[in-house]
Amino acid sequence: MSAAPAAVATHGEAEIKINRLWLFAAGAAVVVNGMFPALWVLLTSLKTEGELTRVPISYLPQDPTFQNYLTAFAAQPLARFFFNSVVVAGLSTVLTLLVSAFAAYAIARLRIRWKNVILSAIVAVSMFPLISLMVPLFQTMRALGLLNTYLALILPYVVLNLPVCILILVSFFSAIPRDLENAAMIDGCTRLGALFRVVLPLTAPGVFTAGIISFVNAWDEFLLALSFTSSMQMRTLPVGITLYQGEFAFPWPIISAALIVAIVPIAVVIVIFQERVVSGLTAGGVKG
Amino acid sequence: MSSKSPRRSIGDLSEGTLGLLMLLPAILLLCLIVVYPVGRLMYISLFDWRMSLPNAVPAFVGLEHYIYALTDDPKFWDAVYNTVLITIITVPGALVVGLGLALVANLPFKHRWPTRLALLLPWALPLVFAGLIFRWFFNYDYGLVNDILQRLGFGKVLWGTDPNLAFFTICLVIIWKSSSFMAMILLAGLQTIPRNLYEAAKVDGATSWQCFWKITLPMLIPSMVVALVFRTITAIQTFDIPYAMTGGGPGGTTETLAMYIHKTTIDFLDFGYGSALAMLMFLVSLGATTIYLRIIQGDKE
Repeated sequence: MSAAPAAVATHGEAEIKINRLWLFAAGAAVVVNGMFPALWVLLTSLKTEGELTRVPISYLPQDPTFQNYLTAFAAQPLARFFFNSVVVAGLSTVLTLLVSAFAAYAIARLRIRWKNVILSAIVAVSMFPLISLMVPLFQTMRALGLLNTYLALILPYVVLNLPVCILILVSFFSAIPRDLENAAMIDGCTRLGALFRVVLPLTAPGVFTAGIISFVNAWDEFLLALSFTSSMQMRTLPVGITLYQGEFAFPWPIISAALIVAIVPIAVVIVIFQERVVSGLTAGGVKG
Repeated sequence: MSSKSPRRSIGDLSEGTLGLLMLLPAILLLCLIVVYPVGRLMYISLFDWRMSLPNAVPAFVGLEHYIYALTDDPKFWDAVYNTVLITIITVPGALVVGLGLALVANLPFKHRWPTRLALLLPWALPLVFAGLIFRWFFNYDYGLVNDILQRLGFGKVLWGTDPNLAFFTICLVIIWKSSSFMAMILLAGLQTIPRNLYEAAKVDGATSWQCFWKITLPMLIPSMVVALVFRTITAIQTFDIPYAMTGGGPGGTTETLAMYIHKTTIDFLDFGYGSALAMLMFLVSLGATTIYLRIIQGDKE
């Protein structure tokens, strides 16, 4: 800590120690709140079914086993669910960023009429609750022959993420000095070239934040994925994992193992990129 | 050199045309996924259109479905009541919890990644997973919550079969899950507050408590408003967590409007009535979106 010497003199050793204790306690509370459920799932995934139904329940697995993980992969096409989720979330994120970067650039940079009206209309329309559009959207997808394809999920997910991404990118694009683009265009870049070679690299934190938010939202989505995919081979993780439960049976250790398989990769991604997510929101996206 | 476009060759489009072309993908997509389906939705809602009677020709019934829902369908009003209650409880609840999380995450820790991960993990956890995990926590026989209650000398509690308790646990899980996104937005807001405001206040002899009320909270209001409106719009659509935790039970007491629409259209295949319900939900959501847009535009001026 970079406390000034004066502060140390007035506070004294004891007070600093107490402050440290409070700091640690507060941090620990936040960590427990956020991670305990996942930790409990991890512990459950290592227990046997017999140990799970023992009373009083055991906290740590008495006889840790990886059998549940093997069963989870054998009982349902878990690897396939995982693959589907990555494809759907990944492709929809790329498409969302492209579509919203174009739209945001037009709104932030080009002299076009009705700018605010267009921005408001796009945001308002994409905030329409997709849940309530289930029936007509289902019929549209069926008419286009898209049911049980990735596109049936990717297209609605792009719409789901458009408002947030456009708002974040508009505020980032508006903050870039026009001179930089003009200079690039003098050097022979077209407008689009300037967008891809100058504007997007300079606004990378915003693009990154928008991308992560899109990815997580698409990774999370359940209802449309449940409704527009009926084939086992096309299920995403959120839908697929609910399939482990039978009518009455709830094989918790196996479900837990499947949950861990689904949670760990995204946790790793978060640890790597955590600083950027918040800093991207800080840099202006929040206030729109 | 003119101050307008530095380079303008014959191949270049005018800015207006280029702007339109760049907006086109978004507009086309919205037409396909939202505008056209909304039109369909309105149309279907005016018909007696039940897939359970596959050979019947859909009959035009006008506004009958809307009138029935608003005046004669207690299940609709129960679902509206539950949805409103969930919104009223969980939106402010998540704001308070999220603010606490953000304030802690903003403290000067040596390593920031544990608190950041703890903040972001619930956000990245699919809602259905949160529902499943907490359903296991609140399991009567083998759940952790009842286990702790017993060890502390209290009795076991039937979390799943008492309507009030089931509702309470659902709200608790929604708050847990949604407070993390709130916290992220608020943390971003906290980091934009200039440090020297606090330093100046400290020089004037202000306590930490006074700093919080007089500097932190007022400066956070824009972030809070954005977080609140976003959260309200999603709270109106609550589906996944009650679906995974109680399935709407016991006896429909935790059924939300989105679940009722889903049940009417997917389980009972009553497309006509389901569409009318969906239109009603859209109108509520439109109200919330309008408020949000007012705020954004107010910000710009």
